[in-house]
Amino acid sequence: MAKSSGPSKSELLKGTLDMLILQTLTVRPLHGYAIAQQIELLSDAILTVEHGSLYPALERLQKRGWVTSKWGDSPTGRRARYYTITAAGRRQLGAEISDFDRVLLAINRVMRRA
Amino acid sequence: MSLIDVLRYRLRVLLRPRAHERELEEEIRFHLSLEAMQREHRARGALSRADAAWAARRRFGNVTTTKEEARQMAGLGFFDTAEQDVRFALRSFRRAPGFTAVAVLTLAVGIGANTAIFSAVNAMLLRPLPFREPERLMKVNLTVPPRGDEPGWDGAPWSYPKFDAFRRAQTVFEDLSLWTDFQATVRVGSDAERVFNEYVDSRYLPTLGIRTALGRNFAPEEDKAPGGPRVAILSDAFWQRRFNADPAVIGRTVDVDGNPFTIVGVLPPGFRGLSGRAELLVPVLSEQAEPWSHAYELVARLKPGVSPAGAKAAVQQLGSVVDRAYPNPNIQNAHWGAIGRELDRTRVDPIVRRSLLVLLGAVGLVLLIACANVANLFLVRASARQREIAVRLAVGAGRRRLVRQLLTESVVLSLLGGVASVAVAWWGVKILAALNPAQSLRMQQIGGLGAVSFESIRLDTVAFAFAAALTFVTGLVFGLVPALQATHPSLTGALKSDGDRSPLSRIRGLTSRNVLAVVEIALAVVLLAGSGLMLRSLGNLLGVKQGFDPNGLLTARFNLNDVGRDSLPGFYDQLLERLAAIPGVTSASLADCPPLGGGCSRTILVHRDRPAAVPGTEPVVGVHWVTPNWFSTMRVPLMQGRSFTRADRLGAQKVVVISESAARSYWPGQDPIGRPVSVGQGGFYDDTAYVVGVVGDVRFGTIDSLPKPEVYLSFYQSPRGRMMMFARSSVDPQSIAPAMRRELEALAPGVPLYDVQPMRTRVAAAMSYARFSATLLAVFAVVALLLAALGTYGVISYGVSQRTKEIGIRVALGATQGSVLRLVVAQGVGLATVGGILGLAGALATTGVLRSLLYGVAPSDPTTLVAIAVLLGISVVVASWVPARRAAGVHPSEALRG
Repeated sequence: MAKSSGPSKSELLKGTLDMLILQTLTVRPLHGYAIAQQIELLSDAILTVEHGSLYPALERLQKRGWVTSKWGDSPTGRRARYYTITAAGRRQLGAEISDFDRVLLAINRVMRRA
Repeated sequence: MSLIDVLRYRLRVLLRPRAHERELEEEIRFHLSLEAMQREHRARGALSRADAAWAARRRFGNVTTTKEEARQMAGLGFFDTAEQDVRFALRSFRRAPGFTAVAVLTLAVGIGANTAIFSAVNAMLLRPLPFREPERLMKVNLTVPPRGDEPGWDGAPWSYPKFDAFRRAQTVFEDLSLWTDFQATVRVGSDAERVFNEYVDSRYLPTLGIRTALGRNFAPEEDKAPGGPRVAILSDAFWQRRFNADPAVIGRTVDVDGNPFTIVGVLPPGFRGLSGRAELLVPVLSEQAEPWSHAYELVARLKPGVSPAGAKAAVQQLGSVVDRAYPNPNIQNAHWGAIGRELDRTRVDPIVRRSLLVLLGAVGLVLLIACANVANLFLVRASARQREIAVRLAVGAGRRRLVRQLLTESVVLSLLGGVASVAVAWWGVKILAALNPAQSLRMQQIGGLGAVSFESIRLDTVAFAFAAALTFVTGLVFGLVPALQATHPSLTGALKSDGDRSPLSRIRGLTSRNVLAVVEIALAVVLLAGSGLMLRSLGNLLGVKQGFDPNGLLTARFNLNDVGRDSLPGFYDQLLERLAAIPGVTSASLADCPPLGGGCSRTILVHRDRPAAVPGTEPVVGVHWVTPNWFSTMRVPLMQGRSFTRADRLGAQKVVVISESAARSYWPGQDPIGRPVSVGQGGFYDDTAYVVGVVGDVRFGTIDSLPKPEVYLSFYQSPRGRMMMFARSSVDPQSIAPAMRRELEALAPGVPLYDVQPMRTRVAAAMSYARFSATLLAVFAVVALLLAALGTYGVISYGVSQRTKEIGIRVALGATQGSVLRLVVAQGVGLATVGGILGLAGALATTGVLRSLLYGVAPSDPTTLVAIAVLLGISVVVASWVPARRAAGVHPSEALRG
């Protein structure tokens, strides 16, 4: 929000980040750090985000009702906040993936033709 | 399900913001420690713990920004950061007490004056009338067609029989009632006082939805039977004052003009009839009424489901019904009618409404100027803080966040101003109540409900809500421009040294400051023009030839009800003799009606030496009763013929004296002396009277209406019990009042003398409304001019401080002190010229609204406008002189070093 980068770019990033977070949560509830790790792992470290940007995104997802959170014990024994995807979150993810697929398809077509 | 999650989340954020924040911090700590641990682990000892922690932080990004963003995302930010901003604002105000004091004071005056005027507008124009469902109440009047040289009138009162015909035929009102106010001598025990009362019928209180606080309303038969028991309802104030709020008052009697009335009820506090001043309600005696005795106002309550528009249409129809029932014998081709208006619309006279709205507009302009001024102060301050702001922008503070913080500063400042404004408003309302022009409005019989008066002005919750809203909006208005301006992202320029900012931003800054100064000047000119016109108008009123000399005159009214017609002349003789003997009194006389008071009798004049005029086209004249020496007491000059003498008495040949206007109107180019006339009142209608003299014109109506034709009759030929003393004295007129009272008491024990006023007070009262508006407008205009001058001063002196270097170079290159002075003053003159032209254009466009308030001066009066231009020019030169002197004193070395 406070970044001076143009709104369209950050909106795009925001949307993508939201989608990635929701995707990582489809398997099981995770804490913030684990989400960051998962995203790096799944994308072969190509998609790297500043870890910090995860937390505003998580607040946003909770506000929209796509994710809920609960404090629990982590394997290290310290208290950690675990995030769970909600039914609404899954629906949203489905919609976003199909949107994303369409865009990817279009990009692929253009790139092949070129 | 997810809805519940959302709710739970939001409630938590809203209700436990601190906990939410702490958890976020904990979460981030957890994240960082895991990352650091993992890095340390992966490096197998190649990375120290500290380095690992550092790397984790780098990977994480800016922790503070993350927190800030998360906070905002959660919606948590608002109150939290607001509190921060408020603290910050208060701290920065403490650092700049001078700036803060000027700004708060400016705002306090602006907001306070607005609140005070708004209180008046609220009380007079807005506050719902204090009756049940006031929007369903209507006032119905008769309409009179134009007659001879008298214009038509759509506000005529009712007679009882016409009201009765109307009531019988109507179907749109659920209740209707008639009332009128009258003065009477009311005696409780041996104490007599002259008070206002109302004649009402038994439906009056139910129509308005008022219940007696004690006792009962009049019974239906009590407003009919003339010979029956007489009853009265007391006002709460009268009950408190004269009966010590004794609940056992019901059944006791009061004496009204010599007749005993049984008290049956007491009104609730605050309600004193639609006249707003009734002490007693007395039933109207309907059976004694004549169809052509028009004296009553009609108030009616709409039936449920009837719209005001529907009722108005019905009233128009009913008007013809009444006209057919009581056709006017003197009018053949035109008809009387009836017209209905919402009671609320008739609450104040149109002149009062207009004056109040003009004042509200004016005081609004003052506030705008105040805003512009404070905005200017903020701009100057913002440019001093430019580095601070640039640094904050550079380290990543969001622009929106900074704007909000600067806006918080302005809102906090305006809140301080708003709090201080309460004192200004309180004081303002006191002044408004003290200036109270209501009394003179009544004297002049200006329309409107007495129940809605300046006495009802007070600072209530509505006024405070208004002040609060105004405060908040004000803060946003004057804060927004500087906030947007100050945070405009041109970082690099500001980050460099202070004096060396990019030319673009400097021009922009100067421009918006200049615009603000020009706006201030223009608004001040509009106000100056308005108040200049009002002052000119007041001056014209002061210069009006009233036709008599008010200095040293004392006037007082009294009524003799029980002295017979034949013994009145003897009473006049004795009274005048006693009055003339009072030490200091040089001349004493009687008349029935004071000049400039309005409300004197009017009647028709018939020429006996001309063919009879068509009925309804006879000229209408004012008619006055005087004792022979009244003209000399008043110093009204005798122009022709003779005045009355003691020989013009009952039984002698009837004679009249006429005014110059009457002579000019009815005997143009002829000698009026000796002409035979009849006058429609005072027993002069069936007889022929001769004109014996012509006297100078006296203004009997409002001070701004031209003298009308008047006819004078002598008390000795047409004795009346209602009269007024006029005594001229060589001492302070007030000082002879006790002696006057004593002499009257000696001749007519128990007759109260009332409305005792020096004639000068009456003259002042006749102008009080004009004086009221003119005074307030002038005060506003002066404040506006001062603020505008202050604003100009601020802009120019800021400009000078910015241009120190440039001026230094000019001086080094040989510019003289004079040329530097000219340079700076020219900037002020430039502002004044642009602002002045815009302001004059604005004034020409808006002063038209004053037209109905002005006397003898056009809204576009060139003299006033030129005077304002000169005043403005002087103010601006003075305002720019001080900074110009400073500029002229700049030493080259000083500038070049800096």
